[in-house]
Parts: sequence; C-alpha cells; structure tokens
Amino acid sequence: MSETIILALPKGRILAELGGLLARAGIVPAADYTEEDSRRLRFPTSDPLLDVVRVRPFDVATFVAHGAAQIGICGADVLMEFDDAEIYAPLDLGIGRCRVSIAESEHRDAAENPAQWSRVSVATKYPNIARRHFAARGVQAEIVHLNGAMELAPSLGLAQLIVDLVQTGSTLKANGLVETEVIAPVTSRLIVNRTALKTRPEAIGAWIERFRIALEAPAP
Amino acid sequence: MTDDTPNPALLPAGFADALPPEAEREAAFVEAIMASFALHGYERVKPPLLEFEDSLLAGSGAAIAEQTFRLMDPVSQRMMGLRADTTPQVARIAATRLAAVPRPLRLSYAGQVLRVRGTQLSAARQLPQVGVELIGAESAAADAEVAVVAVEALAAVGIENPSLDITLPTMAPSLLDDAEVSPDLRRRLARALDRKDAAAVAEAAAEGGAALAGLTPLLHAAGPADGALAALAKASLPPAARAIADNAAAVIAAILARAPGLRITLDPVEFRGFRYHTGVAFTLYGPGASGEMGRGGRYLAQGGEPATGISLYPDAMLRAAPSAPGPARLFLPLGTDVATARRLRAEGFVTVAALSAQDDAERLRCSHTLVGGTPVALKRKKV
Repeated sequence: MSETIILALPKGRILAELGGLLARAGIVPAADYTEEDSRRLRFPTSDPLLDVVRVRPFDVATFVAHGAAQIGICGADVLMEFDDAEIYAPLDLGIGRCRVSIAESEHRDAAENPAQWSRVSVATKYPNIARRHFAARGVQAEIVHLNGAMELAPSLGLAQLIVDLVQTGSTLKANGLVETEVIAPVTSRLIVNRTALKTRPEAIGAWIERFRIALEAPAP
Repeated sequence: MTDDTPNPALLPAGFADALPPEAEREAAFVEAIMASFALHGYERVKPPLLEFEDSLLAGSGAAIAEQTFRLMDPVSQRMMGLRADTTPQVARIAATRLAAVPRPLRLSYAGQVLRVRGTQLSAARQLPQVGVELIGAESAAADAEVAVVAVEALAAVGIENPSLDITLPTMAPSLLDDAEVSPDLRRRLARALDRKDAAAVAEAAAEGGAALAGLTPLLHAAGPADGALAALAKASLPPAARAIADNAAAVIAAILARAPGLRITLDPVEFRGFRYHTGVAFTLYGPGASGEMGRGGRYLAQGGEPATGISLYPDAMLRAAPSAPGPARLFLPLGTDVATARRLRAEGFVTVAALSAQDDAERLRCSHTLVGGTPVALKRKKV
C-alpha cells in the first residue's frame, strides 16, 4: 500500500488562517493550494510522503472517518455534528474561533414562553447538534435543513429559530436576528483516522507531534 | 398522482444479495475460519436467530440493545430480539445448557447478525459474524490463546501481517475512581481521553490533583507494545491500575510466546467501543489500510463467569484477502460419458453439463471445455 499520508484541509475561511501553522509544522504545499479558483484538488508538499487535499469543511471529517485522508483539520462544529467513532481529535489548534449559537428574530412575540414548547422549528445546517440540544431540554426540534442563508429563515417564516456558526454576529444583526444562546464554542481541531493511528502509530504520531510543537512555537 | 411500482431489485437500506462468486467465497471463508477454530479445540454451537429480549439483552447483551431489531412473538406474546451480536447468546448457552460441562469451555459460532443501523463506514445492516468464546478461564494464557486463535484464523484465509491493538478499558475508569474526581470532571476527562485530546486531558487532570498526574504520560504511551509497556512500567500507578498494567504485560508476553512475529500495539487509556469489557480488549487490523477485521476481549459472562472472546468480520476479511481464482469450470458437451465426468470432478474440476445442443462453453462461463476426453483451457478472459 502507499505510504503517502493525506492531510485534508477545509476550503474557505480556515485555510487562510492555517498558513502560519502549516509553515511552522514544516508543511509547504504547492503554491496554488490556497487559490480558490485553482482546479487542482490534491497538492503535493515539500515532504514527498505528504499530500494535501482541499475539500469542504464537512467533507474533511468524512475523508478522515473513511481513511481516505489519514489526518485533517476541521472545526469542532463539524465533529459535534458527525460524532464519528473512527475519528480522534488530539489537538485543539486554537484557530478559526467562533461558536455554534441559537438566534431568533429580534421581534419575537414576548408572550411566548420557550419553557412551554413541545417542539420548535429550527433552520440549520447542523441537524444533529440542533436535535440533541433541544432534546436535552425536552423539546423536539423540527429541522429545516439548509446549506446557507439560514439568517433568512425566521423573517420569511421558514423556521422560528436558527442554529448556526457565529463569528462576529454582524450577519445576524444585519438580518434582524439576536443571538440568544451559545451551544458551544468552536475552534479548529487536528483530527486523525483511528485505523491509521492504530496501524501506523509511528508515522501518524510523528505528525501529531509536529503539529503540537508548531502550536507551542511563537507565531512569527 | 403517479403510481410507479417500486423496482423489485430495491432492497431495504443496508441489505444486499450476495451473487456468484462472492456468496461462494464468503461461505468458503467462514468454513475455513471455523475449521481453524476447530483445530484449537473450539466446538461449534448454533444459537437461534431470535430469542426473548430479556435473555438476549441480559448482561453483556445490554451494550447492543439499541442495535437490536425486535418483534412480538404472537405465540407467547413476549418481545423477541433478532441477534445483533452472537456473543451474548453463546454466553447464555454456556451458563445454562452447558453449565455442567467442565471448564474451561471452548465454543465457536458462525452466523448472520442484524443491526438496526449501519455505521458511517459501512451501511450494511446484515453482517456475517464468526468467533470464539473461551469461558471459565481467567488467565493471561486464556486471553493470549483467543488472540492467537483469531490471528491464525486470518492466516487461514490468506490475511497475513495483521496488527493487534490491545486496549485496557478498565484502566482510565480505575484511575478516575482512585482520584475520586467529581462527576463533571469525570465526564470531561472521559470525553478528552476518548478523543485523545492531550491538551484537554492535561488541563482536566491538573484539576484532579496529583492522583491524575499519571494520565497524560499514559495517553502518550499509546503505540507499539514494547514502548507502551516500558512507559507503563515507569508510570507511578495506584495498586488497582498497577494490577491492570501488570496483567497487560503478562497477556502481551503470552501472545508473543505463541506468535513471535505478531505486530502488537497497546493503548492503555482508551476505552472507546468497549463497554462491557473487564480486562484486555482486542482489535485486529488487517494489513495496510484494510481496516478492522475483528474485535473482542475479556468480559464477565452470565453468572459472573470469567470469559474471553473475539468476533471476526468475514465481510471485512473478504475485502482484505487476496482474491484467489476459483476452480476451473469445465464444459461437458452433450453425450459426455458419466464416468469421465465423475473422474474429472474428482480431479478438482467443476463440471457444467450441456442440457441441449444450444449450450456452449462460453455462454455458460466455462474456463475449459472437453476435447476428445481431455480438458482444454479456453482462450478467453477468466470467469
């Protein structure tokens, strides 16, 4: 079998923040890996035994869970949503800070008492997180599964609430929403495939160690 | 309104028809594995597919309650469960019908299990499962025997160089008990250990005081067995945890005495996926990235009897094993002599007899045809 290790990185916001950390871990991918319009999906790095793939954040967890990539970087929100037994999350990388929150319209009916709810409709791209969170307080969440523009849902009557990733809160505000509760703070995690760590402990362990050292090194 | 009839080929999610040659190959695998178990003195039992829920889900069976299909028995009006794992059934047999048979008792089983949900890795809800249970022996030698019997069963179907991961599911709970941590801290530590989140383990362990100082070194000790054992030997452990560590060392020594070249890894503080194990737990990985081939370990069978078992997954083994060519298929033209055909079958040919003049070797996917009483290979791609 191939000895090459695949590192799955999330497209978008986090990718830009990752540059420094990768450099400190001694990973120099091909120059075009941050260019969103590059058609390549798999990039060689300065290390002949390490390749980088660039996929959607949710797909990082899928690639790593199936062992298609041995290591990856994704947000804790993705791990909460997937909760896969095949994934270890050994390192909190401390970047990509944000939170999974509940938000609702700023014009909510004041007479309504959430403590009396049997159910609530929730627009989200995190159906499992939303369902679990409301179930824990005895409320069924009726999920409206959206992939984006959650903020529109309350004002257009699609759902009472949204559960979404919030970074600064400005998108919520611009759409007439208020953040009512933080479900969990989120940072990016280094994740590894369980089988890979068990069957190649030296190689995978060495990469975890390199990231650990890179985290402790002061940012340049 | 449309009323499209459903396609008759569509099966419920997670179920599949096995076709030639895979169905044959799976059956041959299962028999080869069972024969390998039998050579070590394991005797086959065949529990039923269905049994009453209360006995099926008692003891170690509780761990799979949520994966069990249930149906009401119209006769007894009691709830029945379709087995999602055969181990609890074998434990029941050992504790009841075979209670008087002298111990240690060596039993094996092969059969299909049904699960309510597939995993994220595999959608299958019906799986073949084979395994052994060694009941009534509580020693490192017993644990080692089960692990080695499983490794030999893999070898019997051509899977060489597996790696055996040993975990100690009682180690972390023992350390947490000893440190008398609060339920909240315990929960956080369990979660951090489960994810192998070293920073969170260190942070939570610091709150727990000196008694948890050993946790972080143990987390880092995971890896090849010799290094992990050395780290365990150096660690300062309370007596209960020390006993677990000593037992792990004894089991690994006993395994290596029986299978010197076996690659073993040890992960002292992992407990993921082993809910009812009371001693060492095993996961067998195939070579390369072929994944998990089986799982088992020490547990308490019904009535508190010590037991060690392991289940192997023939479906995973089928994917990992090198594919061997099947036997040659020999076409017998019309009028072939019965005695000749019998002789050729005895020589190892699979014979496919023509029933009409329209039949020919190629259409019936034969690799050989009979020319003047002698099998001749056909020039075509292998069937």
